[in-house]
Amino acid sequence: MNETTTGLLRVARLDLTLLWRNRNALFTATGLPVMFAVLLAPMRGEQAEGVDVALLQGSGYLGFFLVFAVFMNLVTVFTARREDLTLKRLRGTALADGTILGGSVLLAAVLYLVQALGLLVVLAASFGGRTPADPLLMLTGMVLGAAVFALLALALSGVTPTSEMAQLTAVPIMFLCMMGAGVMFPLQALPQAAQEAARWVPLSPVVEIVRTGYFGQDHFAHGTHPEVGFLGGWAAVARSFAVLAVWLGIGRWLAARWFRWEPRRG
Amino acid sequence: MDEPAIRVTDLHRGYGDFEAVAGVSFEVGAGELFALLGTNGAGKTTTLETLEGFQAASSGTVRVLGHDPYRERRAVRPQIGIMLQEGGFFADLTVAETVGHWRGFTRRPRGRDETLALAGLADRAGVRVRQLSGGQKRRLDLALALLGRPRVLFLDEPTAGMDPEARHATWRIVRDVVAGGTTVLLTTHYLEEAERLADRLAMMHRGRIALTGTVADVLAGHGDRIVFTLPAALPAAALPPLPGGGPPGITVDGGGAVVTYAVTGARLQHALHALLRWADERDLALEGLQARSASLEDVFLRTAEGAAL
Repeated sequence: MNETTTGLLRVARLDLTLLWRNRNALFTATGLPVMFAVLLAPMRGEQAEGVDVALLQGSGYLGFFLVFAVFMNLVTVFTARREDLTLKRLRGTALADGTILGGSVLLAAVLYLVQALGLLVVLAASFGGRTPADPLLMLTGMVLGAAVFALLALALSGVTPTSEMAQLTAVPIMFLCMMGAGVMFPLQALPQAAQEAARWVPLSPVVEIVRTGYFGQDHFAHGTHPEVGFLGGWAAVARSFAVLAVWLGIGRWLAARWFRWEPRRG
Repeated sequence: MDEPAIRVTDLHRGYGDFEAVAGVSFEVGAGELFALLGTNGAGKTTTLETLEGFQAASSGTVRVLGHDPYRERRAVRPQIGIMLQEGGFFADLTVAETVGHWRGFTRRPRGRDETLALAGLADRAGVRVRQLSGGQKRRLDLALALLGRPRVLFLDEPTAGMDPEARHATWRIVRDVVAGGTTVLLTTHYLEEAERLADRLAMMHRGRIALTGTVADVLAGHGDRIVFTLPAALPAAALPPLPGGGPPGITVDGGGAVVTYAVTGARLQHALHALLRWADERDLALEGLQARSASLEDVFLRTAEGAAL
């Protein structure tokens, strides 16, 4: 293993220890997703878009869980570590800047992927879910989504003054993602202009890609979702990938502008 | 190996309109211990953080082991140890866990138990960092800075908040490190610390170096001191002139007035003799009489006062 990989794994290990010791952070990163998953149970039975409502919403959670383990968790981690000067101390070691931040992102992404995997099992076992039609497409969407939300977390931490405030600054974006990305209700119910706007919410392309990969159906076509073949799935979400690419660019730009290693002076 | 371990040339570093460092130059040779002294806000920490690569210079050049520490951080960081003035610890980790994780971030680190012993924290290994005293945290900080056996060690106020025993223990560690060939740059408020440890030092004031040299160089020209309490019945105007001594200074200290003569030109013995004879003739008792060489504190106070005018 080269030095960067080793460094990433060691920072991720440190993060895992610290997450385990910090019950608040642990609840945000892992407790909330479990709660959301449990609350799917009472929704079972009604149909929407040709599938069970609980299953449709649960498939949206495969993307939505990014908000907890990756986004909210990392905003808190980076804000708290900047303010308590542990980021500065880490930066005084031989670790490269990218490794210090990347190690935390790595753990957050792994947590999210493990949660998504757990959810897939739950959906299959209790909600009549299937095995994903195109796991590679799903995984690609999830990993790119993790990258976008990690960058947004870096950026937002820079304008969040304290770790207590981190919950507050992250919540509006969480709600925007919950409402806008079609996780809670199908966007087809909205007027055309609102639908178009909602597709630009950063979580939307992730949910679109993940649902398409999961159901093997084009989830933009109105009414019934036509089945798509292996390559057809990728083609159907080409626009989602484009939106993700735009958010990657915006996230990078904002992170470079706003992220801070040290507290503001004075 | 003529290249100095640290070279700073006309360093400027500003924040907005405020220039924290306004043209500082110095060199530290390999294996030397160099101390930066100064009042709060003199620019010591800013100078240090520029050398550590946390901040870029506004202008001027800074080299550590021949590299720019800000642009070539990857080349410099593995070879240096940093003890920040204020660096955070993960409060939920134990002392041993902290050292353990930090060993993973260091190339060819010292052993964990060796490091704990070095810092005198072996008996605190299982304690959460949040429960350590301020002095113990400073020792853990020093231990982490020494973990990679650095070629250059930066210490920002290494003994701040320590009791005298811990301070002496820390001085011993620093001396051992220097004896092992490590170059050390330290900042301190404690003049005694600089006097005991430093090969050379610089006094900073308002972003500039006011004085630099060996401890002996810096003290030279500041003369020796004769100090006693002004006898109660005596008016200050009645004090005698002394050979080699300037006019006596009077400071009010608690209950009494304290007289200080600065004596220059190796005339301390003459001056003291003249003073004692003068006192004998008048049958005066000089309470609290001291004769000593100038301390860094005297020079420091004079530098701070002089530049404040």
